[in-house]
Amino acid sequence: MSTEWLERRVVISGVGQSRVGRRLDESGFQLTLDAILAAVADAGLRVDDIDGLAMFPGGGVANVPGYVGARLYDVQDALGITTRWREGRVEGLSLPFYGAAQAVATGEARHAVIYRTVKEGSAARAAGGRPAYGSTKAEAEGPLAWLLPVGALSPVCQVAPYATRYMHEYGVTREQLAWIPLVQRSHAARNPDAVYREALTLDDYLGARMISTPICLYDCDVPVDGSTAIVVSAAEAAPDLRAPVRIESMAGVIDGRPSWEQWEDMGRVGRATAAAMWARTDLGPPDVDVAQLYDGFTIEVVWWLEALGFCGTGEAGSFVEGGARIALGGALPLNTWGGQLSGGRLHAAFGHTAEAVRQLRGEAGQRQVPGAEVAVVTNVGGYEAGAALLTRW
Amino acid sequence: MGALAAPEGPDATVGIPPAVTEETEAFWSAASEGRLLAERCRSCGAESFPPRGMCRTCRGRDTEAVEVTGRGRVYSFTVNHQQWLPGLEVPYALVLVEFPEHPGVRVFGRLRGCPAEAARIDMEVEVGFQPGPGGFAIPSFVACGEGVGR
Repeated sequence: MSTEWLERRVVISGVGQSRVGRRLDESGFQLTLDAILAAVADAGLRVDDIDGLAMFPGGGVANVPGYVGARLYDVQDALGITTRWREGRVEGLSLPFYGAAQAVATGEARHAVIYRTVKEGSAARAAGGRPAYGSTKAEAEGPLAWLLPVGALSPVCQVAPYATRYMHEYGVTREQLAWIPLVQRSHAARNPDAVYREALTLDDYLGARMISTPICLYDCDVPVDGSTAIVVSAAEAAPDLRAPVRIESMAGVIDGRPSWEQWEDMGRVGRATAAAMWARTDLGPPDVDVAQLYDGFTIEVVWWLEALGFCGTGEAGSFVEGGARIALGGALPLNTWGGQLSGGRLHAAFGHTAEAVRQLRGEAGQRQVPGAEVAVVTNVGGYEAGAALLTRW
Repeated sequence: MGALAAPEGPDATVGIPPAVTEETEAFWSAASEGRLLAERCRSCGAESFPPRGMCRTCRGRDTEAVEVTGRGRVYSFTVNHQQWLPGLEVPYALVLVEFPEHPGVRVFGRLRGCPAEAARIDMEVEVGFQPGPGGFAIPSFVACGEGVGR
């Protein structure tokens, strides 16, 4: 393909994480600095090399307990750097590195860091259980005005009707979908940083309490405390970098109505985004060696498997059944770090991106996919969706 | 005609009330009277929800409120068991309701008039409201007699 897409001019050069746990004593700000310093060192850079800084979320999601807004200006001040490009997104965060890649590709910055910090584990502990989305604000604004007041107080309740409809239309069962959390738990057992590593059985899954039907406890990601940082660098800086990874293609499309309750069906956002991603590369689904698919809920993995073309619409149940295809050693190893379901909700595909980079470098330890050359990463947050193919340098 | 009846089912007043905007003020005001308002385009006749002051089909700006009457049909549902806030009564069913006589309109609300576990795709419901958080009336659809349960 002769087109030079802008993402080909950039690389992911570093990923770093703080400690991750159900409840950590460190402040969100200190966790953020831990992650950034780790990512910069991982890239083989010095802090003074960083000239772009971005955070997620920017100011607009302060209504969610445990979303840490480690302020960009405070972080820049602590690092003692000069920035030529800054960004704090809520709307438009299709992928963690999307805006940073655009900024570096156009020369606004040479090495940009983006970070995401959560203390949702501590927030859930403080609330005596996972708290309502939006409960730190007195009123429900924007799209939430049609959700929270009627009692759809969490993304679980907002996604669940679409899972109900999907299972109804295609005859997909919980016994089939269970293999996604089960396999991911088996992957987490090989990841010393995952928060849940003990084996999970089909009986455990089928016996778990319902959160909002048909979504049970093990279909929901695990709130944690922790921070992830990613460094995006100019491809021409590769000689200065320890182990860069290429961005082969990336896309983030909103097709249809950006509203939790007005979707024609929930798979649509992912389908348009996946189609746009594949249109920017000569690679196709059979070329993918490892998949890091956003898993706020089991059902989101289902929709990504279908949207990306790994199986047909309505076929994900049989695709994952038995687990062999999506386990390490299978045709499409899935969420090899445990995903958010067992690794922890690092959110917005920051954890997924970090794992894809580790896999493509051959640095994934006991869970390494041998010779992995192509990884797909996806993100979905309600109506925002993003997908990218990353490839070995 | 909608009804703002005493709910036969879980209390819904524990929760987070809506922020009312210039576009949604008429909806919440009508809700307090038990009437469900959607938006209709005077140019092309398309209906939509929620109100935007613009027709998403023809981009016309001449829109009006239209009262949604007649039976709705459940597109999908969930039964929530999690107590997201202190004092929240669970379980309760949430339904996405569409209206054969009002294509383009879908409204999220609670379900009452039957046990939460009796919620089904394609079940028929009547428009209704019940007391919600902050003194607002929230959409609360009423299961129609036949076809409910089993």
